[in-house]
Amino acid sequence: MTEAGKTRTIKVDYLARVEGEGAMFLKINDGVLSDVQLRIFEPPRFFEALLQGRKFSEVADITARICGICPVAYQMSAVHAVEQAFGVTVDGPLRALRRLLYCSEWIASHALHIYMLHAPDFLGYPSAVHMARDYPALVEQGLALKKTGGELMSLVGGREIHPVNVRVGGFFKVPSRRELQQQVAGLERARDIARATVRQVSRFDFPDFEQDYTFVALSHPDEYPLNQGRIRSNKGLDIAASEFGAHFEERHVRHSNALHCVMKDSGQSYHVGPLARYALNGHLLSADIQSEARLAGLGAVCNNPFKSIIVRALETLFACEESLRIIAEYQEPQRSFVEVAPRKSVGYAATEAPRGILYHRYEMNENGDILSAIITPPTSQNQKMIEDDLRALVPRYLSEPDETLRWRAEQAIRNYDPCISCATHFLKLNVERT
Amino acid sequence: MKAQKLIIGIGNRFRGDDALGCLLADALRARVPQDVEVIEHNGEPASLIDCWQERQSVILIDAVSSGAEAGTIHAIDLQARGLPEQFRSFSTHAFGIAEAVELARVLNKLPARIGFYGIEGSCFSAATELSPVLQSAARILQQRILDDL
Repeated sequence: MTEAGKTRTIKVDYLARVEGEGAMFLKINDGVLSDVQLRIFEPPRFFEALLQGRKFSEVADITARICGICPVAYQMSAVHAVEQAFGVTVDGPLRALRRLLYCSEWIASHALHIYMLHAPDFLGYPSAVHMARDYPALVEQGLALKKTGGELMSLVGGREIHPVNVRVGGFFKVPSRRELQQQVAGLERARDIARATVRQVSRFDFPDFEQDYTFVALSHPDEYPLNQGRIRSNKGLDIAASEFGAHFEERHVRHSNALHCVMKDSGQSYHVGPLARYALNGHLLSADIQSEARLAGLGAVCNNPFKSIIVRALETLFACEESLRIIAEYQEPQRSFVEVAPRKSVGYAATEAPRGILYHRYEMNENGDILSAIITPPTSQNQKMIEDDLRALVPRYLSEPDETLRWRAEQAIRNYDPCISCATHFLKLNVERT
Repeated sequence: MKAQKLIIGIGNRFRGDDALGCLLADALRARVPQDVEVIEHNGEPASLIDCWQERQSVILIDAVSSGAEAGTIHAIDLQARGLPEQFRSFSTHAFGIAEAVELARVLNKLPARIGFYGIEGSCFSAATELSPVLQSAARILQQRILDDL
């Protein structure tokens, strides 16, 4: 129990079940939460500087190395930004294949987070291995989904980790209809598992916690967004990717090696990821998936971050169905890519990584050499949001023992599936010379 | 019909000593008896568990970074125990080979015989060759695996 005049510090020196190295720090003075810090101490990786001087044709392979979980997201934002700069549109079967590749990443990434990283929180286990003793079928479902996503990524992307088949203008090699057809049986099984997953995770016990979020996601008139769309919010924002820098700003904070991205006007946090996509685009999911969402207890908008696990499951189901649709309609293109001609230009793109909007901006000279690069990953955008969630959530549990409080706070962080390795790929270095 | 014996070389060919598993897989493939299959793998847990199903005997080979002297050969019977804690740090989302082994153990998906051979690496930065000390350790381990088959 908290006593008057007493300072209580809750620390998690090394966050478990998140990607990368981060820590959490909560300070409680006289029973009042006085400080919250999500401390990201993973060393900065300087990818933006690394890209300077490289060819436009290298962006897909260099940026894929930023993350082992969402390399496709980096590849997609990179090639879309360069194509926008060069005035090239990739459509037809090549566009569909890109969407298919992105679906494979969503399936694999969401399955990993739902089953191996997040579900143990709800079922009261320290890890998926511990959970597997009592819930073996659940864990096997997760493994099967992840395997299906990985196999599809290997086929379309060339390999499962850091795919190599993506290039500006399209792909190096496109799969045949027959090769894609061989994925159908696995995807149909995955779809059934994903549907069961929605129903299972919706029965978890969720804290009664809602925030008035500013949700920001891509929004497309005809499809649940992956590669394309305008950047919109539920509070009236509606901009092209080229306007991102005018509305959002990355700021350095002392306690994190990852920049905090905030809304420029207000300095406030905002929320990207599955809940934001669902709030802005849920009506574009199939009637069947919308029906599953209602059965799972979701309305048109979900403001409870703990229920992000349900939305991830719905998006996994969507990615399986979308993959099957794309494969059924696929006609092998004559060429695996469209030609691009470099020009002096600036290109912008945002795509929907599993964790939310991933923004890229490249400035290139007339030869297509990169002069400057800006990459804003979803976890840096969600960082301040996570701290704001903790500020609102932790006071409810102050009477709980440290261990319970710490676990509940860690769970709140994992609601965002943070990818710290992604978020620390840059750091602004301010050198002061006197 | 799958070969009953499987050797899995795990690693990244472009990260110096981390290429150990891949390069040993190359070397062993030409030298093992016909009833042994040798594959290269990136260490992704779900597909790793999948590829050792229906096998009687599996050998995993990987470079490790546990603080021991470079070139040290670690041999672990994974049926008897898991990978030590100090082997567990380099995996995406903290879900790697050690977790794959433990999940498989809990799910009764471990082969009847499964062993791990690791060699302590010294350099995991961008490079396509093993450091000299690992090259000699790899030759010793290669012979040891062939003798054991």
